[in-house]
Amino acid sequence: MDAFETALVRVLPRLRRFAHGLTRDPADADDLTQRAAERALKARAQWQAGTNFDAWAYRILRNLWIDTTRHRQRRDKVIAPAEQAENVGAPGDAEAAAERLFLMRAMDRLPDEQREAVALVMIEGLSYAEAAQVLEVPEGTLTSRLVRGRQALAKLLSGGE
Amino acid sequence: MMAEPIDETMVIAWVDGELAPAEAARVEQAVAADPVLRDLAEAHRAMRARFAAAFRPIADEPVALPSAEVVSFAEARAKRMRRLWVPGAIAASLVVGLFVGEMERPTGMRDRADALALAPPLAHALDTQLSGTAGPVRVALSFRAQDGAYCRSFSATHLDGVACRTGDGWALRYAAPTAVPGGDYAQAGSDPARASAIAAMIAGEPLDAAGERAARDRGWR
Repeated sequence: MDAFETALVRVLPRLRRFAHGLTRDPADADDLTQRAAERALKARAQWQAGTNFDAWAYRILRNLWIDTTRHRQRRDKVIAPAEQAENVGAPGDAEAAAERLFLMRAMDRLPDEQREAVALVMIEGLSYAEAAQVLEVPEGTLTSRLVRGRQALAKLLSGGE
Repeated sequence: MMAEPIDETMVIAWVDGELAPAEAARVEQAVAADPVLRDLAEAHRAMRARFAAAFRPIADEPVALPSAEVVSFAEARAKRMRRLWVPGAIAASLVVGLFVGEMERPTGMRDRADALALAPPLAHALDTQLSGTAGPVRVALSFRAQDGAYCRSFSATHLDGVACRTGDGWALRYAAPTAVPGGDYAQAGSDPARASAIAAMIAGEPLDAAGERAARDRGWR
């Protein structure tokens, strides 16, 4: 493996976790991760050494997901209930999977732009600057989406609407 | 100058470790002094920790890199390119090159049904080698063609190709010169024309590792 592939293999588990946060469905997340890895390999010429590799890879996955959801909406495809998919290949024990599913259902209620900000900062642990770089928005925009997303989640998780 | 009042955005930024030291100290003092701010900070800290903990196990699982052949194949299929295989004459001329070094025969193909049969070392590698194994011949992918024959895509020193099982041997169905002769990063399957050729031939999906091993053990029949 060359340096590019090594960097990609290193970031892939985190990309897959991010995919879970974005798609809220383990099967969709695995599919999205594979497609992102394929696209990264195809696009390796576009990667510029010295720039943030992880942000580049996260961005590829996130843009693919945007394309996917647009495509689904266009075809008016009904997305299978995620509850069924949660049993397939979810890591960890049943309790951990149930907790993750519960949080994913809460994330369903967020607008896309708040959900991706929440996933990058609270789940992936990216700094505001890094998350803004992935989403290609100014840091102030990232911050306000993140705050609104967290306020909504706090309400949902404390039993409010 | 009056410092700005501390709002939820600042509390969250403090919980996230995003504030400069002076600002962080100011929020810390305010949180210590105000039970409402303290509860707010604690709630956001707990929520962040909860999300991080719930999703952490996923990032502990390794994820394999897709093989370059699969990448190339998927790309070709996505584009729905249905290019035909390299015409026999071109493929044949490449095979001649392959034969010459080994057999020291005069150049030129004989007009025979097995004209595209592969040289013994290559055929042997296709018989025995599993995908991904290093060596002078590297097999990237195995699959079943629409006519039921087993086919394998490979890279040899001078030739990238796809060969299918016929009778007792392997017949070349697609060929191109190896992109980087003898190079260490002549990436198997980076040739889009080959991926298109496979896309036009394949029935279903490529064999997985277990399927390939089973097919090999049955002699590719």
